[in-house]
Amino acid sequence: MSVLTVCPYCGTGCQIVVNEQGTEERVTGYSRSPVNAGKLCIKGYSGLSYNFSRDRLKHPMIKRDGEFVRASWKEALDETADRLLEIIKQYGPDSIAFQASAKCTNEENYLMQKIARVVGTNNVDHCARSCHSPTALGLITTLGAGAATGSIESLSASRTYFVIGSNTTEQHPIIGTKLVTERKKGKNLVVADPRRTQLAELATIHLQFNPGTDVALLDSIMYVILEEHLEDEKFISDRTEGFPEFRKAIDKHSPEITEGITGIKPEELRRAARLIARDRPTSILYAMGITQHIHGTENVMSVSNLALLTGNIGVRGSGIFPLRGQNNVQGSSDMGVLSEWYPGYVPVDSPRVERFEKLWNKRLPRNKGLALSEMFDAAAEGRVKAIYVMGENPLVTEASVSDVETAIHNLELFVVQDIFMTLTAGEADIVLPASTSLEKEGTFTNTERRIQKVNAVYPSPGEAKPDWWILNEIGKRISGIQGYESPREIFEEIRQAIPGYAGATYENIYPTGKQWPINAENPEGTEILHTKTFPLGRAKFVPVVYAPPAESVDEKYDMIMTTGRNYFHYHSGTMSRRTDILERESPEPYVEINAVDARRLGIRNSQTVTVESRHGTIRTKARITEKVPPGIVFVPFHYDESRVNRLVGKQVDKLSKIPEFKVVAVRVFA
Amino acid sequence: MERVFAAISGDFETYGAVEKEGEVLFDRVHSLAEVSENRSRYAPKEFLIRRNENVLYLEEQQRKAVFGIKSCDLKGFYLMDRQILNRDPFYTERRNKTLFVNYVCNTPCEGGFCSSFGGPVLDEFDIQVLREGNDYHIMASDKYDKYFNGCRNDDGSYFTDFKRKFNTEMPPLKVDGLESRIKWNSPIWKEFASRCISCGACNYSCPTCYCFDLYDDGDERKREWDSCVLSGFTSSSAGNIRNGLDERLRQRFYHKFVYFKKSKDEFLCTGCNRCVEDCPVGIDIKEVITHDYSNE
Repeated sequence: MSVLTVCPYCGTGCQIVVNEQGTEERVTGYSRSPVNAGKLCIKGYSGLSYNFSRDRLKHPMIKRDGEFVRASWKEALDETADRLLEIIKQYGPDSIAFQASAKCTNEENYLMQKIARVVGTNNVDHCARSCHSPTALGLITTLGAGAATGSIESLSASRTYFVIGSNTTEQHPIIGTKLVTERKKGKNLVVADPRRTQLAELATIHLQFNPGTDVALLDSIMYVILEEHLEDEKFISDRTEGFPEFRKAIDKHSPEITEGITGIKPEELRRAARLIARDRPTSILYAMGITQHIHGTENVMSVSNLALLTGNIGVRGSGIFPLRGQNNVQGSSDMGVLSEWYPGYVPVDSPRVERFEKLWNKRLPRNKGLALSEMFDAAAEGRVKAIYVMGENPLVTEASVSDVETAIHNLELFVVQDIFMTLTAGEADIVLPASTSLEKEGTFTNTERRIQKVNAVYPSPGEAKPDWWILNEIGKRISGIQGYESPREIFEEIRQAIPGYAGATYENIYPTGKQWPINAENPEGTEILHTKTFPLGRAKFVPVVYAPPAESVDEKYDMIMTTGRNYFHYHSGTMSRRTDILERESPEPYVEINAVDARRLGIRNSQTVTVESRHGTIRTKARITEKVPPGIVFVPFHYDESRVNRLVGKQVDKLSKIPEFKVVAVRVFA
Repeated sequence: MERVFAAISGDFETYGAVEKEGEVLFDRVHSLAEVSENRSRYAPKEFLIRRNENVLYLEEQQRKAVFGIKSCDLKGFYLMDRQILNRDPFYTERRNKTLFVNYVCNTPCEGGFCSSFGGPVLDEFDIQVLREGNDYHIMASDKYDKYFNGCRNDDGSYFTDFKRKFNTEMPPLKVDGLESRIKWNSPIWKEFASRCISCGACNYSCPTCYCFDLYDDGDERKREWDSCVLSGFTSSSAGNIRNGLDERLRQRFYHKFVYFKKSKDEFLCTGCNRCVEDCPVGIDIKEVITHDYSNE
């Protein structure tokens, strides 16, 4: 048997073919895929064996007197539903909150938000909050659509790449290899990153700027472009608005002034600005380095300003590419598992919500729900009494995890639906065993808006069930929805709910997917957005002025820590740490520290050190490297034995509510 | 040929290259007509070395016949034999019970260079098939001669002529003496490393790579395909002695073109070009062969 499906790791969405003959199996990249053309990274080749891990959850469990006891599905579902209904009855629908998952399918996410909203609450959110909520908000504000404007394939047509805040070869490896290959052919590559990544090594110019100073950096790049008249005047006058106000704001950001903030020499910055503006088309790629800041949304709008200023949008080879983290974070966001948006980014307070009231035949809540970063605070304060989590591990991945712990203990009901007994699931009152994406059907939407079919390769172990099945059972019990027979039936409803998905069917997206919007005008999907007009009509310049990050160094906390992923692991490691090769390659937590700092602090390589912030402390091994400059340390967030999110504070972006995972003042000592 | 298939299927479970999902993959086949003559998406190594298996038991294996494996992929097993046959009991058990019917390519594939390593007509094989239109030219090893009762068994002269013609279409690269020409300090290793993302595709796709990692999973001890470009490969308590990615890539090519040649008198490469096709950053093993090391 052979099955074509999608790799469950990052937002690139590589298509894989799993060929199984009895017990022998083979995973290869799908050679006809426009996404990966047969190529895979180590996670695709070696990262799927978590599926067969002996740790998989195989039956529902209910906690009785502090111990998990095996339960039947009926018991577990009934108890979950009864207790949720009781809480709703007593405290109202806003006393419960749902956490969806960008690891799950579009169908499952759609279903979860529908249940929440039909029950009467907009308290439904997910990990996109912690990755690209600023992208959705920022780009919807400036362009009218919060997604990548081109395709992965179209990147080949660029002459210049500007990569800011993305370690692409490690985090979106197959997209990264495209940049590597094009760079080797002689294309320009400008990389702005505090760390010396593989792409930075290959770059024409590496702007190794100070963490959290993105706006200053971007504004001074735009200052130079304006100073040297490299802007695209025609594009600005034909397609945008707000340019004069924007120009006024930029005037304050000459490279000579921002040097003191960013640490970038004016001449270097001028060279970079010229490449970006002159050698077009230029594509701009960014990821968490832009978004995970208290100015995340402003950072995104600043990126958007740069693309508009240089006319790099709407043409093959140009464009803005927010590289989405999770396999389906574009899709889950499209599905509206975000507390301020209904499916298709319809604001909760918009009259357009009527569309869903008709579709679901129910009066729906119009108030903003709680964002992921607010749910636990609300739980700690007693405003939220029950949280239902699908496939997320907030005890490892949320900022300030010790507060998350306290909040969970304050809940009356905590339900977790997952494939493993994660740190988070261990705290649950009821644990529901789910199938992996290799065991179920549905769709994922990748970072270039490509809706791709996900197909079951293996049967689920024990009594584990697909997330949509579990939600469906809960939904029937608590929201009175009539229920669905299959993911296909849910997808058919999604087509009615979201105009961009209207033209997609399970048949016509097979085998290689289609990029939304897919509709009557674009039955084959849309590779390049904004070619003639923007969803807003004209795109908006939004003046953005630099303000410092929430945390800065002082005498005691004298270094800046940034957090992120490494190549071998994925987020809280529930999957990647259960595969032999990936875990062997990166078996333990570490802190990257520059040799200069290590010498100053008397730290040897592999020595266990303490990293302390104003919020907490962890012990971890030092890895001495030139990848980080002096004054900066990097800690990956994969390891539950040493959770770096103990150190990250709760300051969030006012606009998008994303926590600042990228700038934390710390001290390191042996 | 149909009769040969029928005779073989009496003794073996029959597998073959088949077209599925727009790719050529391997699966059970029940007739010769199902077997694709196109080159498969990958070298079917899993018939002899499984991607992941428990090494605490060795189950008795089914006898299997695999039709449509290309010569370059089959040659990989003959090279592996020199290192692991009769040493690796899992490989040996399967190897002894698997019959391969290799299809010789009529025309060179894009990028392939099997003629540099003696392909596509192999000197060692079980049953070797070359199809020209409706004619099958077949050679069988002594062990499998019995399946040809009544069938014409080619004496090999057709193959010799074919090989001569094929070599003009795919001129062999100069591999002679590569083991002494290649340079330890060549800048190409660092250049490769600057691109490489350590995906392991070169190893996983290679018909000659057989290295595995051993690990415990509960009460099972398992082995899984490994990749020598990863830093955890052959790691010791002091880490990997080849700390840099450039050193690990060099090790891969030195194993193929120097160490194996010196110890087994063969290059550990069949010219299949699969590592090149699956490499996301275009690292080309042919460059290692053709590179001018003289001034380095």
